[in-house]
Amino acid sequence: MSPRARVALLALAALILLPGAASVIAGLPPFGATIARYGERINAITPEARHVANMVSAINFDLRGLDTLGEEFMLLAAITGTVILLRGRRGEGKTGRAMRRPGRAVIPRSEAVVLACRIAGPLTALFGLYVVLHATVTPGGGFQGGVILASGTLLIYLGEGYVGWRDAVRSPWLDALEGGGALLFALCGLAPMLTGAAFMQNVLPLGTFRDPFSGGLMLVENLGVAMAVAGGFTQLFLEFMEETREADEPDEPGEESA
Amino acid sequence: MLPYAVAAWLFGIGLYGIATSRNFIHLVGCLGVCQSATYVLLLGLGYRWGSIAPIFYDHPPGTPAVDPVMQALVLTDIVVGATLTALLLVLTIQAYKRGGSLDPEKLRPMRAGSKSGRGQGSSRGKDEERTAP
Amino acid sequence: MTVILPLLFLLTAASGTAVVLVRDPTRQIFAIAVNGLVLTILFDALQAPDVALSELAVGSAAVPLLFLVALMAVRTQPPEEKS
Repeated sequence: MSPRARVALLALAALILLPGAASVIAGLPPFGATIARYGERINAITPEARHVANMVSAINFDLRGLDTLGEEFMLLAAITGTVILLRGRRGEGKTGRAMRRPGRAVIPRSEAVVLACRIAGPLTALFGLYVVLHATVTPGGGFQGGVILASGTLLIYLGEGYVGWRDAVRSPWLDALEGGGALLFALCGLAPMLTGAAFMQNVLPLGTFRDPFSGGLMLVENLGVAMAVAGGFTQLFLEFMEETREADEPDEPGEESA
Repeated sequence: MLPYAVAAWLFGIGLYGIATSRNFIHLVGCLGVCQSATYVLLLGLGYRWGSIAPIFYDHPPGTPAVDPVMQALVLTDIVVGATLTALLLVLTIQAYKRGGSLDPEKLRPMRAGSKSGRGQGSSRGKDEERTAP
Repeated sequence: MTVILPLLFLLTAASGTAVVLVRDPTRQIFAIAVNGLVLTILFDALQAPDVALSELAVGSAAVPLLFLVALMAVRTQPPEEKS
């Protein structure tokens, strides 16, 4: 389809759908007037029912934990697909000569950058851990903390270079983190059934309100999600950066190096 | 009414970017704009004037708070959406290696037995040699 | 808050438009990072700090890096067939 035909089709579709969109926008409740009743009920009953202060974590890990199980496995599947596609073409070895364009001068790393990364890296990792552990009392949780931890490993790359990064962040650990996190979450669903309760029912002691150790089974699920997200995102970064290395020789005889 | 109109505008302009893009990587960025339109819509639906965030650490439970369900939806969606963006970028790289171009106009669908990309000039012999184990 | 929120919504629309209208992928990466930052501020103004944390880490750190490395991978490795 030529570009003009495509834009024409898009304009036609927009013209047809625009009255519908306008009537929907006009029919929605005015902005900020009221919230849905389901949210209202959750805000009213969850602090006593589960002894947690963060409603969003309670929804993610307890009240709608099944949806989070699906999302976590979606994450796992997407990352596995990425790894299979990239590693399948490239092989499993590693070299120290990555991220270099032939014919272009290599600028040595400045010492200010190295110092800043050495200070900021551990601080970011600590902050990520803090965000993960305080899932039920302050804004935070497994998803946010996991991504912050994964971004912290990038500071290792900036400060130490590709070889240092590959030595510090090893692929088998990341595989174990990612798979182990998903397994922990799935076990949190199955384990309550061994005691006669429902799937993913909160059977652990609930703890005290406004304390980091509150929520019962939510904390274990939170840990599983944090492990899976941190391991998964770091694995993504590693695979992407490996993609830019030069291969030394062809991986299989008879095939050109990519 | 403004947030819903902004969400519709973002979705529309993201679709326009996808339809008229000349570069696959630019296309994936426009898909991200479409995703952010849904986040704006969901969070705009969940807001209420004069409410606090749904975290009862500093405030006593019972203070009016915004809708936590919408925030839970958007939260997991952002992280999983980034992973899917990565998968799309990997597919783009693979398509570039096979077809030789990042332009959506220049790549043609793959057909069994012939090399994808660039329509003409496929070499059947080389392709059979490559797919043989 | 009644003045800030409409301004933030308009700013979001503008930065989303900028992401689409910048056609060069190298320059679009900066637009994506700025869009992530603007969305973070909007989500925080809508009383959603969890979502803001998530969007900041993902939209300003993870996604621009993935785009940057994808562009670099495309540039350093030529396509396999040269016809």
